[in-house]
Amino acid sequence: MRRVVITGIGIVSPIGIGAQTFWDNLLAKKVGIRRIQSFDPSGFSSQIAGEVPPFKISEYVPKSYRKATKVMARDIELAVVAADGAFRDAGLQSRAYTDAPTIPATRFGCNIGAGLINVDLAELTAALHAARDGNKIDLQRWGREGMGQLTPLWLLKYLPNMLACHVTIIHELKGPSNTITCADASSHLAIGEAFRTIQRGDAELAICGGAETKALPMSVVRQILLKRVTETHNDSPAEALRPFDADADGTVVAEGGGLLILEEYEHAKARGAKIYAELAGFGASQDSYKVTEPDPTGRSYGNAIAKALADAGAAATDVDLLVPHGLGIPTHDRAELAGLRRVFGEGLSKVMFAPIKAQTGALAAGCGVDAAAAVLSLHAGRVPAAINSRKPLDGIALNLSPEVREANIDLAVSSVYSLGGQNAALVFRKLES
Amino acid sequence: MHRVVITGMGWITPMGHSIESAWKGLLAGESGIARTSLFDAATFPTSISAEVKNFRLADHIAEVGSHIDGGRNTQFALAACSQAWKHSGLDAAKLDLDQVGIYLGSGEGSLDFDAFTAANLRAWQPATNTLDTVKWAEVALELMNVTRELEQEPNMPLSHLALLTGARGPAMNCLTACAASTQAIGEATQILRRGDAQVMIGGGAHSMIHPFGVTGFNRLTALSIANDDPARASRPFDAQRGGFVLGEGAGMVILETLDHATARGAKILAEVAGYGSTADAFRITDQDPQGRGAIVAMQEALRDARMTPADIDYINAHGTGTRENDGNETLAIRSVFGDRAKRCPVSSIKSMMGHLIAAAGAVELICCVLAIRDNMLPPTMNLHHPDPECDLDYVPNQARPARVDVALSNSFGFGGQNDSIIVKRFVG
Repeated sequence: MRRVVITGIGIVSPIGIGAQTFWDNLLAKKVGIRRIQSFDPSGFSSQIAGEVPPFKISEYVPKSYRKATKVMARDIELAVVAADGAFRDAGLQSRAYTDAPTIPATRFGCNIGAGLINVDLAELTAALHAARDGNKIDLQRWGREGMGQLTPLWLLKYLPNMLACHVTIIHELKGPSNTITCADASSHLAIGEAFRTIQRGDAELAICGGAETKALPMSVVRQILLKRVTETHNDSPAEALRPFDADADGTVVAEGGGLLILEEYEHAKARGAKIYAELAGFGASQDSYKVTEPDPTGRSYGNAIAKALADAGAAATDVDLLVPHGLGIPTHDRAELAGLRRVFGEGLSKVMFAPIKAQTGALAAGCGVDAAAAVLSLHAGRVPAAINSRKPLDGIALNLSPEVREANIDLAVSSVYSLGGQNAALVFRKLES
Repeated sequence: MHRVVITGMGWITPMGHSIESAWKGLLAGESGIARTSLFDAATFPTSISAEVKNFRLADHIAEVGSHIDGGRNTQFALAACSQAWKHSGLDAAKLDLDQVGIYLGSGEGSLDFDAFTAANLRAWQPATNTLDTVKWAEVALELMNVTRELEQEPNMPLSHLALLTGARGPAMNCLTACAASTQAIGEATQILRRGDAQVMIGGGAHSMIHPFGVTGFNRLTALSIANDDPARASRPFDAQRGGFVLGEGAGMVILETLDHATARGAKILAEVAGYGSTADAFRITDQDPQGRGAIVAMQEALRDARMTPADIDYINAHGTGTRENDGNETLAIRSVFGDRAKRCPVSSIKSMMGHLIAAAGAVELICCVLAIRDNMLPPTMNLHHPDPECDLDYVPNQARPARVDVALSNSFGFGGQNDSIIVKRFVG
C-alpha cells in the first residue's frame, strides 16, 4: 500500500492567514470571534462571528489571473488564499509561480469541500429592484429587464465546484478533482477521498480540505432559525463558543479554509520535502436518525473514528490527541461525547482534547483548519489550550487544559460531523525517524 | 480488489417515473421538453424546459412523513432510490447497514423564492443602492422557514436517503456541476472495490428549473432559445444547435461488491468496469478547446477497465447541444478512439430529456445499462444538419438495434470537471 504524507498546509482563518500565523495565534490563545464587521448585524440576536482579517485577493493570484477574481464569491477567495499558502508551504513550483512548473500536473488531484454558497444580496437586489411589484418580483419584468442587469458570469460565482476549479486553473492541476458538499464534514471527507486517490495510485499529490463562509446575513439567519448559535455572548465574544462546557448555549458562525498538500511518501522523500506527518487512516459513516440533529447515541460518529483507527492499524489506546468537532451546542456536544465513549470507553478521559473552535468559530466546510491543527500539534509536540471549556458538560471529565501543553504526540485524530448526519475522521501519525 | 456490479436502478425523469416507461419513450424518440410551467418564464430568453410532470412523492414511498419537507431534488432522490432499492431486492433486515453507504452527486434544494426576494426588496435602499441588513434581518427572520432553509443544503438528499434506507456506511455528496452523479457512481465504485462497504447507493438529483436557475444559465447564454418548438429545441451535434434545455430529475443505482450480490443471489444488471476523472485546469467559462481533460478522463476509464477503444460498443455522450461541448467532445472521442471513432455509435439522450445537470450522469449511466440489456441504442434526436465539426455516428433520429456489451458514458462539468465511466455486460 502506498503511504501518504502531509507536506504543506494552507490556512485562512479568523486568527490569521497562513499556517504559521494561525499556529502562533492559536498557541497564543488569541480569539478570532468578535462583533461582525462585514455588515451591520444589529438586527440579529447573534451578532458575532469569526471573520478573517482583511486581505486583498489580488495578492494571492498570478497577475494574469486578477481579472478572474471578479467572479469569485467569498468562499472561492478563501479557498484560493488557502491554496496559495499550501503550495508555498510545500515548496511546490506550480503554474502560479513559474512558467516552467515542476509539479506533475496530470498526477496532481484537487478535492476541495464547499458549502452552499450564498449570493451577494446587494448585487442581486439591485437587479431585482428593476422588476419589483411592491414586495414581490414581477417575473415577466424580471425576464425582460431585470436579469440582464446581472453579470453574464453570475451563476459561476456560486457553483460549489468553483473553489476547486479556480485552484486547478491557477496552479494547473489536471488530476482527479472533486467537490464534497456535506456541510461541516466536507473538508474531512475531501481529505479522505484525496488520500484514497493517492493510495490507489491515481495521483502522486493532492490539495484537499475545504473552505466556506457563514459570516453572511443569509447564513446567520439560517443558523438562528436552526437555534445553533449562541445569543447570549454579543458582549463577550471571546467566551462565546464553549466546547463541552456546562455553560455553553450555542456555537458561533465563522469563515475560513484549511487545505493540506497530501503527497505519496516516496515522492515527498525524493524531492526532500518537509514532512509534517503521515495521514494514516480515514473513516466515514452516516447517521440514520434525523436530518436536524446528530444521533444522541453517537453510534455512527463513533464508527467513523473506529474505522479510521482500524484503517491506520491503530488502537483507541494509541490516540494521544483529539481535535474534536466541539461546536459548543449542548445537544451536539453530548452526542459527540457519546460517540467518543463508544470508541475510547473509560480511556476517553486520558486523550488530550484540543477543541479549537473556541478560538476560530465554527468553520463549517472550512473545518480542514481543524485537521490542520491536529497535524501542526503533532508536528510541534504542543497541544492548543481549551480556552472556554471550564465546567465539564454533564460532569464528564475530559483531558483539557486552559493552557498550552507540551506533549509527545504520536497519533492524532481529527473528527467532524454534519447537520444531516455525515461523519468523518482522519488519523495522523508521526513519521518514524 | 472487489468487482463491483449494479443490481438495481431507478429514476424520476421528464419522460417518466419508471425505468421502463422512460426508456420506452427514449427508444421511440419522444421528447420531455415543453413550455415551462413551474414558474412564469414567458419573457425569459428561454421559456421551455424538461420538467418532471405529475410527481407525487406518496406514489413512490410508503411513509412520506417529514420527507415531504425535502426540496424537489430530495423528493426525486427518494423516489428514484426507492425504485432502485426494490429493483435490487435488498432487504434492510438482512443487511449490515454499517456496510451500506451512499454517494450522491446532488444539487442544492429549492430556494424559498418568495421569502428570499421579499426580504431583499423590503431591505433595499434605492437612494443609496444598498441593502439595509438590519431591516433584512427583521424581515428574513419573520418570513423564512427553518425547514425550507435547511433543505436547501446540498447534503440533504443524501441525509434523507439514509433515513429512507437505514444506511449508515460511508456517505458523501459531491457537487461537481454537470459531472456530479457520474463522479458519485465512480467514487462509490472505488469505495466498494476497496472493501469499505458492501453496498453503495449511487446517483444524483437536481432541479434548477426555477427563476434564478434559468436566469443563471440564460445569462451564460448556455440555453437553447428555440421556445416555439420545444421538442426540437435540444439538437446535440446538429449544425443548428443553440444550447441545452434545462431538465430536472434523479437517477439512482444500487452498487454492490460482486461477492455480496452473488451471496444473496441478486440479479446482476451490469458490471462497473472503469472510471476516470480529470480537471481541465483551463478556464471557468470554457472547456479546453483541444478536449485534453476529456481525453484523459476517457483514457483513464479505459485503463482502469483494462480495455482499448475497440472494446467499446457504445458511447453515451455528454452531448449537451451547446456549440462548444459537442465539437470538443467529438474531437476528444476522435482523439481517444482513432480509427474506431467513426464506427463506434455515440448518442445524446439530452436531445429528448434535456440536461438534468447534477443528475444527468446517473440517468445516462442507467441508459447504458439498458442499452446493454436490450441491445438497443437510444437515438440522438433532432439531428438533421450535419456539422463538419461533428462527424461521428450519432445514431441520428432513430433508435437502433446493436450488440452492446460495453458502454462508456461521459459527463463534463462547468469549470472543467471531466468524468468517464464504463459499464459492461456481466459475465460471471
